[in-house]
Amino acid sequence: MKGEIKDLKGASFYIKRGLIYMVLILWSLFTFLPLYWMLVSSFIDPNSSASLQFTLVPKEFTLASYSYFFTFNKNVLRWLFNSLLISGVVTLANVFFASMAGYAFSKLRFPGRNAFFWTLMSSIMIPGQVTLIPLYILVVNVFNMSDTYFAIILPGVVSVYNIFLMKQYMTSIPSTLIDAARIDACSEFGIFRKVIFPMAKPGVAVMAIFTFVGQWNDFFWPFLVTKTSTMRTIQVGLSSFKFADSTQFGPMMAGAVIASIPMFILFFALQKYFLQGITIGAIKG
Amino acid sequence: MAKIIFDHVTKEFVDDKKGRVKAVDDSCFTVEDQEFMVFVGPSGCGKTTSLRMIAGLERQTSGNIYIGDRVVNNLHPKERDIAMVFQDYALYPHMTIYENLAFGLKNLKTPKLEIEAKVKRASEILGLGDLLERRPRELSGGQRQRVALGRAIVRNPKVFLFDEPLSNLDAKLRVQMRVEIAELHKALGTTIVYVTHDQVEAMTLGQRIVVMNRGVIQQIATPDNLYNKPANMFVAGFIGAPAMNFLNCRIEQKHFVIDQDTVFGISQEYQKLCKPLIGREIVLGIRPEDIYDPHLAPNLKNPGTLHAAVKVVEKLGAENLFYFDRAGVTVTARISAQSRVMAGEHVELLMDLDKVHLFDKESGMAIR
Repeated sequence: MKGEIKDLKGASFYIKRGLIYMVLILWSLFTFLPLYWMLVSSFIDPNSSASLQFTLVPKEFTLASYSYFFTFNKNVLRWLFNSLLISGVVTLANVFFASMAGYAFSKLRFPGRNAFFWTLMSSIMIPGQVTLIPLYILVVNVFNMSDTYFAIILPGVVSVYNIFLMKQYMTSIPSTLIDAARIDACSEFGIFRKVIFPMAKPGVAVMAIFTFVGQWNDFFWPFLVTKTSTMRTIQVGLSSFKFADSTQFGPMMAGAVIASIPMFILFFALQKYFLQGITIGAIKG
Repeated sequence: MAKIIFDHVTKEFVDDKKGRVKAVDDSCFTVEDQEFMVFVGPSGCGKTTSLRMIAGLERQTSGNIYIGDRVVNNLHPKERDIAMVFQDYALYPHMTIYENLAFGLKNLKTPKLEIEAKVKRASEILGLGDLLERRPRELSGGQRQRVALGRAIVRNPKVFLFDEPLSNLDAKLRVQMRVEIAELHKALGTTIVYVTHDQVEAMTLGQRIVVMNRGVIQQIATPDNLYNKPANMFVAGFIGAPAMNFLNCRIEQKHFVIDQDTVFGISQEYQKLCKPLIGREIVLGIRPEDIYDPHLAPNLKNPGTLHAAVKVVEKLGAENLFYFDRAGVTVTARISAQSRVMAGEHVELLMDLDKVHLFDKESGMAIR
């Protein structure tokens, strides 16, 4: 009949949809739970018995854990600074090196390009634990860099995974733009800086977020190569709230909340590029 | 302004499956100063590779390329004083139209005021004045192509290179842009090398045309000469739409014998040419437009009758295309739209025997 649109979707459609939504909501709650627990626990009084137990329902609300966190060790701010510095430098280094390497592997022709690329790729298959000891010996015993920023930063300056990510992203940039830039009298580095890099921003943003978060959350390597309290990162520092017989959840979670703030800021600042970066391939096909 | 010389230029690629492949094979030609030269041929014929070698985007395996008086073999694209327009426009998507136009000049360290003046002039020529602050994605296909042209114009180069610049546009816009490019050539008087696979573009734009196939130059000639005096069967079949019909034929004393029912007298003009070929098998070429409906035919000096069982009639408005089989091949005839012949009819059509082309059966070369 005119003006009447028949609803052709049957009950099974709505049941299916309902089930999908239910699974997604449950999954979201499941993902959100650790964050919620972190936040709730951070408002518990560190001196109360609740601070030693796991709880989802807050019985009290106090900022004492935060003040405890900052006064527990005189280097707490230094840990935050260290984490920020190390993650920032590693991220910048990866943005610089991985994007240039990705450009070279995707767009430049040079002898041994494929062999070199696949050699690098094969190194991804070697588990980190296998290379940890040789890396430790190299950094600590050979280069004597123990307990320095270099020791933490250097192994992460460029990651093969990031090179792969950038290579894949830059392959989708039309090569005629590079030809056009060459004809427009652009130098080879100019092509990268003025044409390719600005176009690869969404991909670079995704890489930057992953790298920053990965480095910020890294516990084991900084724990291995640092000795003094002043060289600790925040993740290593947080572990000092765990004592032989108990764990101080309140201050530890307060520290964790503070430690996650830079990541939230980074994510929301680059969110536009981030979403663009993970959907751009799908749209362009 | 400059002329371009290809002196025995060869370009080889290494293909994973085929091994060494010659994309351009011993190419020799000269594009004269201020000439509009078109490279035409099917995909993979080497036309784009030739253009890219002129631009300096590909390095030839052997031979020399001259632009003006200089050998440019070892020169970077920016040192060759050329500008190129690409098939997919190749506009920088993150820059505004102004920045796109000014990009090359900025790289050449041109003073800011001069850049502004040049961009303004180019945008006026191409009607881009209102679009300078926009980004490429906000423009239509035709506007983007104009920007690509503008980017070439602002540089005021010695040579313009066009790589199938109109193939991404719709048919109407293509015609419009074709006219604009022709006018631009007149206005700027620059040497232009234009690559296309579209023979209509080649015929309408080119002062001379290089027809290429499998890396080898088949013929270099003016559009008229290519159409009327093709050097071989490839050129004859490639230039002209619909393509020329080819019929196997034996030459007898005074006749072309195609089959029992199809025997044509050799006109006086061809008799001298055919005398040494008596008894030989050759290929006879006739263009679809040289076959007529007898009721609508002009006064032909030497008509030949073709018996045709018309299989299909395609009505194109201004003309009809007839398809029928003769001597084992499908023949196409381009007949006036006033013809009343319908599909399925047996008719007699007239062939203008003064317009036939003769080709050697083995080599495919024209017999002249």
